[in-house]
Amino acid sequence: MNQFERPLSRRQLLRYTAGGLAAAGFAPLVAACGGDKESAGTGDTGTGAAKPGNLKMWWWGEQEAVGIKKWVDDTVAKFKEQQGSTVKATLLDTDAVIPQFTEAAAAGNVPDIQFLFNGIYHMENVWLGYLDPLNDLVDAKVLENSNATQLSVFEGKQYRVGFYPVGFGLSYNKDLFEQAGLDPDSPPEDWDSFVDACDKLKAKGVIPIGGGVKDGYLGEWYLVNTLTQNLDSAQDALSLFIGELDWRDPKYHEHWVKLEELKKAGYFNDDIGSVELYQGIQLYDTGKAAMCFNTTPAIPNSQKQLGAEKVGYMVMPTFGTGSMAGTPITDTQGFGIPSKAADKANAAAFLEFMHSDERVNAMWELSTQIPANKSFDASAIEDPLLKTIDEKWVAGDTNVYIADLMPTLFWTDAMFVNSQKILNGESTGEKAGDVAAEVTAKWKKQNPDLLENYKTWGTDLAEA
Amino acid sequence: MLRTRPWVPYAYLAPAVALIGLVFAYPVARVIDFSMRLIRGDSGPFVGRLNFELVLEDPTFHAALKHSAILLLTVPVLVAIALLVSVLLYDRVRGWRVYRSVFFLPYILAVPVVGIVASYIFTRNGALNDILHQVGLERLAVDWIGSSRYALLTLMIVIVWREVGFGIIVFLARLLTMNEEAIEAARIDGAGWWARLRYIIVPELRGTMEFYAVVAGITMLAWVFAYVFTLTKGGPGTATTVIELYIYNQGLRNSLPGMASAAAVILLAFTTVLITILFWLRARAREEEIA
Amino acid sequence: MSRAEAPALPARRRPGRLRLRPGKIVRQIVLAGAGLTALYPIVFMASTAFKDRAQYLENQYDLPWPLYFGNFSAALRGGTFFLWFKNSVILTTGSVVLCTLCAALAAFAVARMRFRGRDVFFSLNVALMVVPPVVMLIPLFVLFVDLGLVSTYQGTILIYAGLTIPFSIYLLANFFRAIPRELIESALTDGATNLRVLVQIILPLSAPALVTLVVVNALWVWNELLIALVFLPEDELKTLMVGITVFRSRYNLDVPITMAGMLLASIPMILLYVFGQRFFIRGLTAGAVKG
Repeated sequence: MNQFERPLSRRQLLRYTAGGLAAAGFAPLVAACGGDKESAGTGDTGTGAAKPGNLKMWWWGEQEAVGIKKWVDDTVAKFKEQQGSTVKATLLDTDAVIPQFTEAAAAGNVPDIQFLFNGIYHMENVWLGYLDPLNDLVDAKVLENSNATQLSVFEGKQYRVGFYPVGFGLSYNKDLFEQAGLDPDSPPEDWDSFVDACDKLKAKGVIPIGGGVKDGYLGEWYLVNTLTQNLDSAQDALSLFIGELDWRDPKYHEHWVKLEELKKAGYFNDDIGSVELYQGIQLYDTGKAAMCFNTTPAIPNSQKQLGAEKVGYMVMPTFGTGSMAGTPITDTQGFGIPSKAADKANAAAFLEFMHSDERVNAMWELSTQIPANKSFDASAIEDPLLKTIDEKWVAGDTNVYIADLMPTLFWTDAMFVNSQKILNGESTGEKAGDVAAEVTAKWKKQNPDLLENYKTWGTDLAEA
Repeated sequence: MLRTRPWVPYAYLAPAVALIGLVFAYPVARVIDFSMRLIRGDSGPFVGRLNFELVLEDPTFHAALKHSAILLLTVPVLVAIALLVSVLLYDRVRGWRVYRSVFFLPYILAVPVVGIVASYIFTRNGALNDILHQVGLERLAVDWIGSSRYALLTLMIVIVWREVGFGIIVFLARLLTMNEEAIEAARIDGAGWWARLRYIIVPELRGTMEFYAVVAGITMLAWVFAYVFTLTKGGPGTATTVIELYIYNQGLRNSLPGMASAAAVILLAFTTVLITILFWLRARAREEEIA
Repeated sequence: MSRAEAPALPARRRPGRLRLRPGKIVRQIVLAGAGLTALYPIVFMASTAFKDRAQYLENQYDLPWPLYFGNFSAALRGGTFFLWFKNSVILTTGSVVLCTLCAALAAFAVARMRFRGRDVFFSLNVALMVVPPVVMLIPLFVLFVDLGLVSTYQGTILIYAGLTIPFSIYLLANFFRAIPRELIESALTDGATNLRVLVQIILPLSAPALVTLVVVNALWVWNELLIALVFLPEDELKTLMVGITVFRSRYNLDVPITMAGMLLASIPMILLYVFGQRFFIRGLTAGAVKG
């Protein structure tokens, strides 16, 4: 892969081009056309004892966590050696992940193992009866250890096992920090020192924060990194999205007020409105911007481009006062088993095999990616930055990624619109709160049935 | 007329009718049905006018409607540019054939290609603004697609850039079939360039201009999806969202096929009105000719 | 495009038109400005495709030097480009053939046979020409899921053929009507069947109209984005137009590779245009000039 052939984030996936959109929206259509939905939960249960078979797996991740394919291929080979079953693993193109599965599920022609993004991105499939709960299929210890997060649970059942974690925060350039008289080893933690750092960087003639909001994903990352600070739980986020909390309450749109501040102070690149997420990140990777919003699987790539010694990573500095403030945010990619899978027992056996101690540690050895499993032996990591990432973003206490709870309409009509308008200087944080409240009300009115599912989901989150 | 057994013509029509039934008749009937239901799956509970009410009170739909209406303003622009250029070419200035080829070239490019190329040229620090800086026109170097104020204008510029080539070619083709004696006579009578354009060429081109205006109008209402999708995806915010994109988003992205169908019915009504007006205009024009 | 200049000027051209007058200079300036505007985005696309990334970041509007060819191999790597290309060729060929066949049969009946409902059919057919495809999108998708036609060439070919058939019938029927009756009658007295009249007399005489039709429909299908996006989401089935939107996001950071992809995607149509300009222009204007 060309090093500039930049992977799309999975968020882009859902909303990006056609395919993703088509599936996301057509899911309910396809559901009813797909014939019987009764098969959930029937069939083989238990673990281990199945006869060897031929499995199909559709997966994704090499685009985001470069190098992980090596581990997947190796795992498939070892599985064949040890348990006799073959796995045909197909790496999907980013835009294909969601639509291809949804259409396959409608036609009843599904793989045995399917890659799944977290939260609403797979929950819609759960609501449509496309996925089996894993509690009766997969060893409880694997379910527990694999960090699939509470957003994979609906009505007490878990629908995914984890694959690899994705942490969120800000990348920063230690060199540029030093040049601006900032301590490269203790990045700002609170808002005032963050603003102060931006000022100093700006005075030095560097772009303090590189970004591109044309495609909107930066708006999503920003929202998660900042709104979370004023919340006490993931359930708060869900309540906001379904209108049970009020976006007009200052603490729920404070993050947009802060964004307006950053914009007005001139801390972003001047073309932020007309470039896309990764073009913004590129400003950081080429040393033109001192910071950028970024994810942890992208760190090795930045290290390659800037030199490992220059790359730093931090939790978003805080202004918020919620109990989630200051804690790193981490999401997990994962796998599930479709309700119409041909060989659920072996599919479950493969998921368990992926999470055997040997395989978990092999992910780091083969791919330099941190696995989503609590039993991972982190002493294998030598790079100090990646070591910190593991301690804080993976093994440590983390927050869920609240955008996994965001209805699509909120994404398009509120998050996307607000972040673009604020960064263009055409709206204010306060107005953004009004827009969010209106969009939430609109969504409730348009989707009475989804609202019910969301409420049930909220109960699960409250119990978690 | 050929003499045939009565069923024979229908047999000839059958394949075409089957295709039309599959692609137009059934879906249009279905979309009207969908527009009155909360669709989840291949149908859903009947909700009467609710979808229409939701669409009509949706600010995003208002924005989409407004933008589609504004896009219609490009129609006179297209006609005017095509007229001007084709008349200049008709005067057979040196190299007119080369010009003709050049002006038509954009129309050969696929819309997604045009949209994507333009999305790079028009960025804040893109090639266009670089050039404007070079020639000392910094004042004109705005944030073409990054700011709500200019994004729709930029979209219109891009659409005009590609679509006008077709108009030039059509007008020129019509001009070349024109009887030149009238123009020559007018010239001898001392009619200036403008007078010849106004009193001879424009009346002569009227039918073609009408045709082109209708084609362009329909394009603006119903065929700009690929431009918007590749250039701005409707943003920033909703600054370039048009009806087509609204239907697509509402139906596919927001899982609300019922509302999308209601919006589609509204769009269908618009185009029907438009085509009816056109038929009526044509019929009247024909009557006038006869009279 | 030098060949455009080569043919002899039309007989009607009068000597003396090339005399240099102030008016001429103004015209040349206007045309040259318009020509540059028309060409610039294409030049931008082509020149960027020959720059390496560093050259592009340094200067976006300069001409590339030295030429860099790496973008093309990068764009073609993995072979998906050719796969998309193949898909587009299959869909375009399939739908144009199907549409032309069905339209020729139907137009023959409409133009040359008497039957009840003929005028209604023809008017409805004209009205269908303005129905936006986005209106049918959602019901068609639901129907095609039921029929198992999503993600198949056949299904999408049916949609494209259906969407292009109203215009095709309209164009062919008008042309068939204009064919002199005597030619047909003499064939009939020789004992030819209806079908033979169509195949052996009408179609050969309508070659220009058929070429027009093929050009217009092929161009339309080749460039279509919305239907291809929704009905052929799988990677192996993507069309070139959908492919390049994927491509753009895949090489988001490397504009020269994207532009190389855009250029490659445009080359088939540009070549067709350069070598078949006559057909192109005649094809696209035929429907318009008469109107």
